[in-house]
Amino acid sequence: MQSLGLDVLFKGSNFLRLLGGLWVAVRISLVSVAISIALGIPAGILMTSNRKVVKGIFRVYLEIVRIMPQMVLLFIVYFGTTRVFGWNLSAEVSAIIVFVFWGCAEMGDLVRGALISIPRIQYESAQALGMDAMTSFRYVILPQTVRRLIPLSINLITRMIKTTSLVMMIGIVEVLKVGQQIIEANRKTSPNAAFGIFAVVLLMYFLICWPVSRLAVYLEKRWA
Amino acid sequence: MEKEVILQYLPMYREALLLTLKIGWQGVFLAFIFGLLCALVRHMKIPVLRGVVTGYIELFRNTPLLVQLFFLYFALPKIGIRLSPEFCGSLGLGLLGGAYMAETFRSGLESVAPIQEESALSLGMTPLQAFRHVILPQAFTASVAGIVANVIFLLKETSVFSVISLMDLMFTAKDLIGMYAKTMECLTLLVVFYLIMLLPVSLLGSVLERRLRHAEFGT
Amino acid sequence: MKKTQIIATFVAAAIGTTLIGAGSVFADGTFRTLDEIKESGTINIGVFSDKSPFGYVDENGDYQGYDVYLAERLGEDLGVEINYVSTEAASRIEYLQTGKVDIILANFTVTPERAEEVDFALPYMNVALGVVSPDDAVVESLDDLGEEDQVIVISGTTAETYLVKNYPDIHLQKYDAYAEAKTALENGNAAAWANDNTEVIAFAIENEGFTVGIPSLGSADTIAPAVTKGNESLLDWLNEEIVALGEEQFFHADYEATLLDTYGADYEDTLVVEGGAVAAAETETE
Repeated sequence: MQSLGLDVLFKGSNFLRLLGGLWVAVRISLVSVAISIALGIPAGILMTSNRKVVKGIFRVYLEIVRIMPQMVLLFIVYFGTTRVFGWNLSAEVSAIIVFVFWGCAEMGDLVRGALISIPRIQYESAQALGMDAMTSFRYVILPQTVRRLIPLSINLITRMIKTTSLVMMIGIVEVLKVGQQIIEANRKTSPNAAFGIFAVVLLMYFLICWPVSRLAVYLEKRWA
Repeated sequence: MEKEVILQYLPMYREALLLTLKIGWQGVFLAFIFGLLCALVRHMKIPVLRGVVTGYIELFRNTPLLVQLFFLYFALPKIGIRLSPEFCGSLGLGLLGGAYMAETFRSGLESVAPIQEESALSLGMTPLQAFRHVILPQAFTASVAGIVANVIFLLKETSVFSVISLMDLMFTAKDLIGMYAKTMECLTLLVVFYLIMLLPVSLLGSVLERRLRHAEFGT
Repeated sequence: MKKTQIIATFVAAAIGTTLIGAGSVFADGTFRTLDEIKESGTINIGVFSDKSPFGYVDENGDYQGYDVYLAERLGEDLGVEINYVSTEAASRIEYLQTGKVDIILANFTVTPERAEEVDFALPYMNVALGVVSPDDAVVESLDDLGEEDQVIVISGTTAETYLVKNYPDIHLQKYDAYAEAKTALENGNAAAWANDNTEVIAFAIENEGFTVGIPSLGSADTIAPAVTKGNESLLDWLNEEIVALGEEQFFHADYEATLLDTYGADYEDTLVVEGGAVAAAETETE
């Protein structure tokens, strides 16, 4: 059997290009997670509200996120918004919008869950100590919530990194697309490059996501 | 939007829906089997196999389905293993889902108190019997929410099937847009068909969750 | 069952549908005029990144190929930087209609259906359809295909539209990208691959074990740059440019720089269209 395409990896700047593609994926997900957390916390606090309208709006929002594939949302935001509003969003901005739309829902739901899970007595004790609502929220509730949230949001990062593989479909040149380009440019000299390249791309995703998800598990156990 | 266009495209979307459902549910079925096997191996603490199972779960949970499909469909033939697109689709979903289901089952199993198993064993059940009749039903109840979430997740993941040439809902929409450029009609139909496919699952899931929670509280 | 949830889901459905539906009210066509492009200093050009030798990326990450050679020259003559946007066949029209790119230079075949959606400039290459298949089972006529045989096409190409229209019984195996289609053919997933004949000929020359059993299928068409519908300033400039380039035999030079290695000299006169002037006999479209 001929080489399985590993030699192609080290031709020219191919390997660096793959890493560059991976960085595009990681960058999109980091930016999205950061914004999702920033927006998810107020969203989560709002979700604990008892007002029917607020509740209804969030239910609709969560249900859309739950049912619509990210791929569909990407297409709607990337192509649909230009048609409806005339906005010309770059592929990367569209991807970040979709990821934040999704991440904010998840974070919000997690924040809501974390807030609810904090026993009533904590609020009451804080009050008994003479703290006002703001102070008790700031010094008692928030630190505990954040502790519960960090492992979960780290988990969200890995899921986002994995989902970035979809952005190839709206023309962002990330690691998978770079892989395809390399296979294409070397089809003649190493027809089996598909094996080596896809195996390496799979491995790259794993090497990025695995340590991060281990970290999440570790933090979850430690802070539980 | 043009009504005729929508009517003209409807049959294609219906066909795509059927294919998506077929492969999606085959994948879900496989995911159940793989997940259950993995949970069993881990629960019984079978040496060697346990390591294999952990490796499998970590690998598939930490890589995207899209890349897994690329590997299964485009890379494996280079070493002589050729699979049909449909088989690749169900297998890919099954492998991915299996890893998620295994984790869900595990947390379900962990929620069953150890005394349950000890009691079953002391009643003279074999470990397998205890697993089948005592632990599994309780663990299953505890993991229903997770299972429903996984099923929806898996059915949604079918949207990347275009790379292995399966005409699922997403690809049908993209393909029609590419051929006739009726973007709005195609995207609208796409959203509607995903709702048709997943709303019932989502609603059924919440009913099931509530029922089982009641059952749990009742006992 | 929670009533709020049911209501919520239906509202979700309604919002989604109206939002998308509202789109059709607005006219298509956001684009940048020639002056706006010049002022911004950058032009966005949509090309293939996986279609060697027309548009692909070499091992140093640079775009190359017949289409890209032209793109480079356009950028130079406009005096602007080029931002290449990697596109798939099926999204070419969409990219123009949503103004994501100013020009598509992605082996875009001129057809009457597409001309309703975008504006084509003068052509720079001839094309027809062709079918390539493995040596051990060469497909010489589409009527020879058995019931089980599948034919690979790329979503959004003229080959797809042609086969859907004229051979509705053939089972098509569709892919998004060139790289995927080619790897699938190599892997033996289908009986044949139908695409632009330029592309299948190149594939058969570059890959051992494949023969072009049907070198020409359907009508003789041309490939041309395309701009967003109504973008007259850019279209006029492109047309003048292509005519002017013809005087210096630019497209022959382009052929020799990018396609000669693949096709040899034999195809030069059949493929190249110089100065936008197609031989009169072949212009039968519309």
